[in-house]
Amino acid sequence: MTLLEAQKLTVSASLDGERVPVLHDLSFSLKAGRVLGLVGESGAGKSMVGRAIAQLLPPGFAATGGALTFGGVDLVTMEPEARRALLGREIAFIPQEPLSALNPVLTIGRQFDEHLARIGVASRERRAAMLAAFDAVHLPRPAELLARYPHQLSGGMCQRVLIAMAFASKPKLVIADEPTTALDVTIQARVVQLIAEMQARDDTAVLFITHDLRLAAQVCHDILVLYAGRAAEYGPARNVFGAPGHPYTRCLQLANPAMRERRGLYALPERMPGLRAYNAMAGCAFAPRCPLAITQCTQAPPPLAEVGPSHVAACIRAARTAEIAPAAEPAVETPAAAPVILEASALTKRFASGGLFRRAEFTAVSNVSFALHENEFVGIVGESGSGKSTLARLIVGLETPSEGRIEIAGRDIDGSAEADDHRRRHVQMVFQDPQSALNPRRRVASIVTQPLEAAGHATWEERLARAGLLLREIGLPGEAATRFPAQLSGGQRQRVNIARALCAVPRILIADEIVSGLDVSVQAQLLKLLAALRRERGFSMLFISHDLSVVRYLCDRVLVMLRGEVVESGLTEQVFAAPAHEYTRTLLAAVPPDDSEISARPRESGDPVLGPGPPLSRG
Amino acid sequence: MSARPAWLRSGRVVFGLSVVVLISLVALFAPWLAPHDPNEQTLLSTFLPPFWAKGGEAAFPLGTDSLGRCTLSRLIYGARIAMTVAIVASFGAMIIGAVLAHIAGYFGGWIDWLIGRTVDVWMSFPPVILSLILMVGLGTGLRNVILAIVLVDWTRFCRVLRSEVLVVTRRDYVAAARLIGFSHWRTITREILPATTPLLITLVSLEMGIAVIVEAILSFVGMSVGATTPAWGQMIADARQYIYDSPWNLVFPILMIFITVLGFNVLGDGLRRTLDVRLTETQRA
Amino acid sequence: MTSILPLIARRVLVSVVILFIVSALLFCILRLLPVDPAAMSLPPNATLAEIEAKRHEMGLDQPLFRQYLIWATQVLHGDFGTSIHFRRGVAGLIGSTLPATIELALLAMIVAGTLGIAGGLYLFHVRGSAMEPIADAGSIVLLSLPEFLWGLFFILLFGVALELLPFTGRLTAGFQRPVVTGFLLLDTLLAGRPDMFLNALKHMILPSLALGIAFAPTIMRVLRSSLLDVYQEDYIHQARLRGFSERHILLRHALKNAILPTLSLMGVQFGFLFGGTLLIEVIYSYPGLGNLMVDAVRNADLPIIQAVGLTYCVVVLTINTVVDAAYVILNPKLRIA
Repeated sequence: MTLLEAQKLTVSASLDGERVPVLHDLSFSLKAGRVLGLVGESGAGKSMVGRAIAQLLPPGFAATGGALTFGGVDLVTMEPEARRALLGREIAFIPQEPLSALNPVLTIGRQFDEHLARIGVASRERRAAMLAAFDAVHLPRPAELLARYPHQLSGGMCQRVLIAMAFASKPKLVIADEPTTALDVTIQARVVQLIAEMQARDDTAVLFITHDLRLAAQVCHDILVLYAGRAAEYGPARNVFGAPGHPYTRCLQLANPAMRERRGLYALPERMPGLRAYNAMAGCAFAPRCPLAITQCTQAPPPLAEVGPSHVAACIRAARTAEIAPAAEPAVETPAAAPVILEASALTKRFASGGLFRRAEFTAVSNVSFALHENEFVGIVGESGSGKSTLARLIVGLETPSEGRIEIAGRDIDGSAEADDHRRRHVQMVFQDPQSALNPRRRVASIVTQPLEAAGHATWEERLARAGLLLREIGLPGEAATRFPAQLSGGQRQRVNIARALCAVPRILIADEIVSGLDVSVQAQLLKLLAALRRERGFSMLFISHDLSVVRYLCDRVLVMLRGEVVESGLTEQVFAAPAHEYTRTLLAAVPPDDSEISARPRESGDPVLGPGPPLSRG
Repeated sequence: MSARPAWLRSGRVVFGLSVVVLISLVALFAPWLAPHDPNEQTLLSTFLPPFWAKGGEAAFPLGTDSLGRCTLSRLIYGARIAMTVAIVASFGAMIIGAVLAHIAGYFGGWIDWLIGRTVDVWMSFPPVILSLILMVGLGTGLRNVILAIVLVDWTRFCRVLRSEVLVVTRRDYVAAARLIGFSHWRTITREILPATTPLLITLVSLEMGIAVIVEAILSFVGMSVGATTPAWGQMIADARQYIYDSPWNLVFPILMIFITVLGFNVLGDGLRRTLDVRLTETQRA
Repeated sequence: MTSILPLIARRVLVSVVILFIVSALLFCILRLLPVDPAAMSLPPNATLAEIEAKRHEMGLDQPLFRQYLIWATQVLHGDFGTSIHFRRGVAGLIGSTLPATIELALLAMIVAGTLGIAGGLYLFHVRGSAMEPIADAGSIVLLSLPEFLWGLFFILLFGVALELLPFTGRLTAGFQRPVVTGFLLLDTLLAGRPDMFLNALKHMILPSLALGIAFAPTIMRVLRSSLLDVYQEDYIHQARLRGFSERHILLRHALKNAILPTLSLMGVQFGFLFGGTLLIEVIYSYPGLGNLMVDAVRNADLPIIQAVGLTYCVVVLTINTVVDAAYVILNPKLRIA
């Protein structure tokens, strides 16, 4: 029985007086007990689907075509009161950011109670119902939890509370809008497992929205890939993932670094067209970036054509998709006996917290020692709270160590002005958030040549010239030099960030989560750029990331951090193939399997490829 | 790109700016605009109503007060006091408050604590009371009025700006500037100040309105510029005594203060809306 | 509520320290005065020797620091000195005027708080509609009128033109005021005189209204902008997704969060409001602390100025402490680590 059905759904926004289709001719169907994955990069329109179902579209947006039916009734033309009655009862949502999804001044118990009251649970039965719900999501000490406030919980626990609330009414449809994006990878695996458990228990239909194709393949029965507001591909998960029809899907796959072996990345040029360009596109939206594009592609938008059983793709050249492969990349040369350029010994950093009367101490980094050689890329992986960011700040000088030594190019960094100067010449940092890392009031040229400004003697013409060189190196067009950061995309801003760090010609670059939060295709571009820069310039890098596959691609060696300590270190390939420490094993097990592993697994019809996740424990 | 910058396109800014500029011009050209000497007493023509009322004379367009002084002239000369105090005092308070706020917010630690506690102590006084007491201690006179307002209101700037400075200092681009080798001074002036300037401008505009009010209050209780210089608050104090004889003399200075303060407030509000929207958004290609 | 006791204790301690610093500052500022208090308390034909003797008697020839210490110890014993002009104990003068100012301020705070919150909700309610620019402009216009102008305006309108309400003093002449607690409104009720109570209330309508209306617009605007900020938060969107009505969301979720920054501002505004009682009292000839202060200023009566200045400080610090405590009670993030 089809629960949720979209038939040529079109949602438009009025932008500058024009009507722009944010979603165009979208069709899919979802039956009870099935999980449909909606995959797309940012701007593709996937969160619009969730909003369209709830009919909580932003001002200026409206459903202008097609139908969106739930249980046979059209959601768009439904009476607003009737539609509101569905929300929370038959249709439930699991949000993206669990910690900000609950009211910070009310207790968990109050908010859950309010929700249960709305769905009609009698007041004397509510407390028992809440405790039972928390039990079902494996939350420890549920009675205590009711009296807590959201800020006292971790992200993972909060998400479990929200899942409990969503499933409390035994809804027919649950929409999970990027439910694991804000969570650490081990928590992510557990949350995904939990959703699968709840869904199987109540035979709920789940719409799983995500940007991660691998995750969708792991979790969903069917997958719908969105590109620029249109369906690019739609079919059973293992078919879409194992043998993609649309070139975009294939490129998306290849843009993810693999875990098992280090293969080249496929980096699509530029990015998905923005809303304002939609109306100007005559043919396939993907054509400008597509490796298989021919003139015919730009003349008319391709229809959804069958490429397999129940499997459609909107491409006229779908037959040749399997041919797309990444260009061969020169192998990374592990420097044999390169000199040590950075040495950290027994680094410890303690933070004092509390006010005048209560002094608590918190150790962020504990007894960390490692060495970085010339021309070597070392990855530092860990989850939130592992201390990796603090370690980076210690190396670069934004924090002073409580104990321990740092030696850079043979010189001990002892806190004197000369030592700081020495460090400044050798080490530069690329910050994580491109939004806050670039001064919005400076032009790009001014930002990338800031080191020249600090040195004091360059004229504006000299700076422009140097900026031009740097921009070319990082792959931005020359005219970007006079723009402001607000006019650039996230990926472009991150390149500017890198360029600024490179301007001072450092020997060591510290990169703190610089590709997190970027779309997969943009991430691939940046990773290839870093690899290319390494070949051309020759520098070392400390690459901090929570994403193991990225580290696998980029780094020769890896350090695994847990609660301030390094629990394992070694060559990336070895550590990932045969992890020695239990935590490393947990981390690796939590990563969604990549394509080569999927195709290697035996198939059963209709089942999502939910591999054995890490053991589900309480707390 | 459109011809006028965004902030000039705002209706509020245009309105506020017009009022302020108009009154400033009146203040500037007072000797040429006022029909009479504001202190000239014509004891035969006291309590004249405005020229449109019965008994009014064209020579005294807005009437006269208890000593036969021309109300219009006194209003015009009163504008001089008001605008002088407004502009000088608010800039003075702004400079002190802004410097301390930036130092406190940027350096943090004990400097921040010290400046913060000083502001707390200062602000545990209602501003009206403090300015009154300062005037007692300093003595009357235009210079002392300005000094008193500066000494009282710098805390307002300091407190508000400090939170903004704190937010900006936490941004990565400030840390990046330091890493690249910018000195503290350069970091503050090149990275932080441009970010706090919009708020600064808005606060100055609002402060001017407040300064006008404080001066009026002080001259109302007779602790401002002295009896020989006409000031709006003083006109109100005088008129209040003779409220049944000539209510007009109470209405006009009230109206003047209201319009002036309204002008500054609307200007400040308009600036806040246009400048605060992260300068970047106005710089579209 | 045990968690807020240490907070209150700490605030009181800090306030006491502040009071000492403030009193020292006051002391110094007032000594800058070009006026000689000794000469002022003697008849105009006093000889230099008599003035010198008076100075010695008043302790004015001692170094500043010792003068301050003497004064401070006296204060701690409850002796605020003697007024030069009135030749009475300052403490007594304050005792007879402070309750009146407190009554006025409390009434005005109720007016400001009620109008402010109601107005803020209204401003928020009309957002996006045609009324919004009008309401917004209205609130800016209201903002631009300081309390003393409101006071005068009300006198002109309701007192002189319409002759609806009284605008001088506290009671119509002829009433004998009962003295029990010092708080007139309370006393008239306790003495069983409802007619006097109403009379007193009538006299307080214009001044408290003027004072309250002057401070309401800021509260309105802050509540409105707090609500706007809160509505951008994710949990409001999530509450909608759970199917709650807009009314439920506003009252049960948004307001509880938006009230926090509003409360903070209300504390600051009420401090200013208390300072504003000074002018209102002058305008309405209301026998309170403000009039006492203004008289003292005109007469350069230092003991009164010092003591009254300190009193204002104490009241403002009390208001701040109360507001801080309320803020901590309402904000769980501060109560629980």
